[in-house]
Amino acid sequence: MKTTKVLTFKKKVLENVIDIAEKGTHCGMCRIDFLGTGLCPSGKKHGFLAYWPQGRMELVKHLKDGRIKPTEKLIDIANSCNLCGICDKQCNFVTQLRPEKVASALKEYVNCLDKSEYETVPDDEIIKGLREIVGEEWATNDPIIIASYIRSIIPIDAELNFYIVLPENTEQVSKIIKFANKNNLPFLPRAGGTALSIATPTVLSKAINLDHGIIIDLIRLKKLEIHPENSSAVVGAGITSFELQKAAYKHKLRANVAEAGAHYCANIATTGIITTWGNKYGCFADNFIDLEIVDNEGTIKNHHDIDIPNPYTTDNTFSNISLSPSYIITKATAKLFPVFDDEEAVLVPFDNLKDALDMVLELGKRGIGLSVAVLSYKYLAEFICPTRKIANDFEDICKNYMKLRYVVDVICDKDDKKIVEEMAEYTIDQPFMKTLILGSPKLASLKDSEFMKILSEEENPLKAIFAGPMKKHFEKGLDASPEQMSKVYDKDLQDFFKKIYSKSEMTNVVWLHAFRILPSRLMRQQMTMGPGGAVWASDKKHILKWVDMFADVGNKYKLNHALGFISPFDNGKFVYIEYDYFYDHNNPDIANKISTTLLETTEKSLVLGQIFTLINYLFKGIHRKEHVLYPLPKALSKEEQIMFRDVLHSLLGEFEEW
Amino acid sequence: MVKFLSEEWIEYAKNYILEKLDPEKDMKSITTSILCIIENVPPNDETINLYIELKNGKLNDLQVSIGEISDGKEAVFVIRGNYGTYKDILEGKLGTAMALLKNRLKLKGSRMEILKIIKPIDGLIESLRKVTDEFEK
Repeated sequence: MKTTKVLTFKKKVLENVIDIAEKGTHCGMCRIDFLGTGLCPSGKKHGFLAYWPQGRMELVKHLKDGRIKPTEKLIDIANSCNLCGICDKQCNFVTQLRPEKVASALKEYVNCLDKSEYETVPDDEIIKGLREIVGEEWATNDPIIIASYIRSIIPIDAELNFYIVLPENTEQVSKIIKFANKNNLPFLPRAGGTALSIATPTVLSKAINLDHGIIIDLIRLKKLEIHPENSSAVVGAGITSFELQKAAYKHKLRANVAEAGAHYCANIATTGIITTWGNKYGCFADNFIDLEIVDNEGTIKNHHDIDIPNPYTTDNTFSNISLSPSYIITKATAKLFPVFDDEEAVLVPFDNLKDALDMVLELGKRGIGLSVAVLSYKYLAEFICPTRKIANDFEDICKNYMKLRYVVDVICDKDDKKIVEEMAEYTIDQPFMKTLILGSPKLASLKDSEFMKILSEEENPLKAIFAGPMKKHFEKGLDASPEQMSKVYDKDLQDFFKKIYSKSEMTNVVWLHAFRILPSRLMRQQMTMGPGGAVWASDKKHILKWVDMFADVGNKYKLNHALGFISPFDNGKFVYIEYDYFYDHNNPDIANKISTTLLETTEKSLVLGQIFTLINYLFKGIHRKEHVLYPLPKALSKEEQIMFRDVLHSLLGEFEEW
Repeated sequence: MVKFLSEEWIEYAKNYILEKLDPEKDMKSITTSILCIIENVPPNDETINLYIELKNGKLNDLQVSIGEISDGKEAVFVIRGNYGTYKDILEGKLGTAMALLKNRLKLKGSRMEILKIIKPIDGLIESLRKVTDEFEK
């Protein structure tokens, strides 16, 4: 009787927090100190994902399902958390989740376990060999730790036949690869893991993840040096975009970086750091001066070596698809750029894409602005709103009442700001953006209000709000303050968030663009899949047709979808487009639809032609943009389309055709 | 038990391909040659070469040789990878296209051309899978 009670209690402990755990998306924001709270002490000390909040959430799911059995490591993982609450603050800012409850439940669960319930994990020759390379502490074959990597490098349904190793330096990476080859084991590096987690619920899971073998977690390669004298930084593979930017900003310098939690080196390898700053700062090999790499044979090389084959060139036909990096970047020498004192943000609202595109192409060609993009209302809402509910209502207001469907979003100096303001009838400036950020809860609450109805009946609601007599009332009515903003959070976190939103950077649009902490909100309690790619800027009809195609496929499968962003590159010669689909990653039916959407939009993009799709983009970031993008592939012939389907079948087996 | 790359395996593989694969229907009448360089073969870490030649969809040659050779001068495609990767492919855990695109196999030759014939190659692998039931450990 007592045993049954204990069993029921144990099950209940995990069930109580499973809802939180399942909503985790491995955004990785709990591994960077973006709110000034410090880092999770346990994760910082032990490194393995299981010791970080995101890893605990993952392993709780598999303990609850009975997929993994407790090992003694679980005691260490549970007890290493001191319930300091840092993770709740960080995760709440991004996702509104409370991972500390999961950590607490894990402690309770461990306390209920009997000694006899722990399974032992025998050492084998492979783990012994890996420990000889990195030291006893930094290699494991413990299923409890392995399970924490599911969904962010291990496919959901894979057998847990893995070794995880955390090298400290490039020489150790080299030795691990040589050891893996000698023992006929596949390997894959892991950095932030976000790209892998985006792929996991979809048809790309097996293609991108590792099905067995050695996971090389690069988190310990923490070298970071800023060289202000030549505007460069030496960046190890364990350094995130946020960490690099923070260090660069101390010297009034800026790096061209991806989302805050993405690791800089991995992002070079994966997609070549495509950002809204790209027209000014570049993309692909523009981003770095030198790379230190370890190839698939374990040989350490540098791009500056005279005798290596040309690393910058690549075949750019559609058959040149890579599903894993051709080598591991262990260190990059990154280019840095000056931060100017007179930098400002200016946004131009539009009710249609064509006009917004016209403006962004013009800015691109003229080289105006440091960061330039068209953003959809969806991005605007997701980025600035503190919760999903507020974002949904904010979206509705933008789309249906204010007719604010797109903004041209420019970070620039004061001279360029004047030019943008001359080009536009009305703009949103930094002070107004601060009002929108802090006033977003109030604005969202106005949905279906009389004020919004009156506004929507205006001939030009955008003008009325941003340049007309309603502007003052609107600004005042939003009651924008850190105090108001803090009220949307759980009671115990309100004081903390009041302080956070009182910090100038949290409402400084330039800072937010540079440090990129807000895009992680696209993954709050849901997953996003953002196909797209590059296209010449000269044919506007072609660009709009391409965007319409993504929308049509989204409508066909009844998905939540919207344009992400369009940014010019290479002095406005081409644009990069991301189109996003949002979905519940725990729902296999919707994940299947996303898979079909991904394949269908890729094929349709290739058939449209003169497009470089996301699938071709993957793992091309080390090459020169001139080799990657010039010329763009021609439209697929009928014969090539058949071949494309054959390759998909060979890669994926059976899949739902469209 | 037929062990991958053994004398017996070569005979079984030849016979199976000739008997079971229709040159036109299954092999799309392709004419090509593939040299698979298999590295780190246990227990002695050897390199073994597997050469397969098809003419109008019919198996023309299948040979196994030991030791490094200069990257298959005569083969249209040279595919290099370790024993573990080839084992995964023959056990059906990994597709050929997937292995190529994941860089677990290194290709010398046109990527476009090999992807064009990926369907008959998958058929060929499927046949080799059927005659292989033992691997080196």
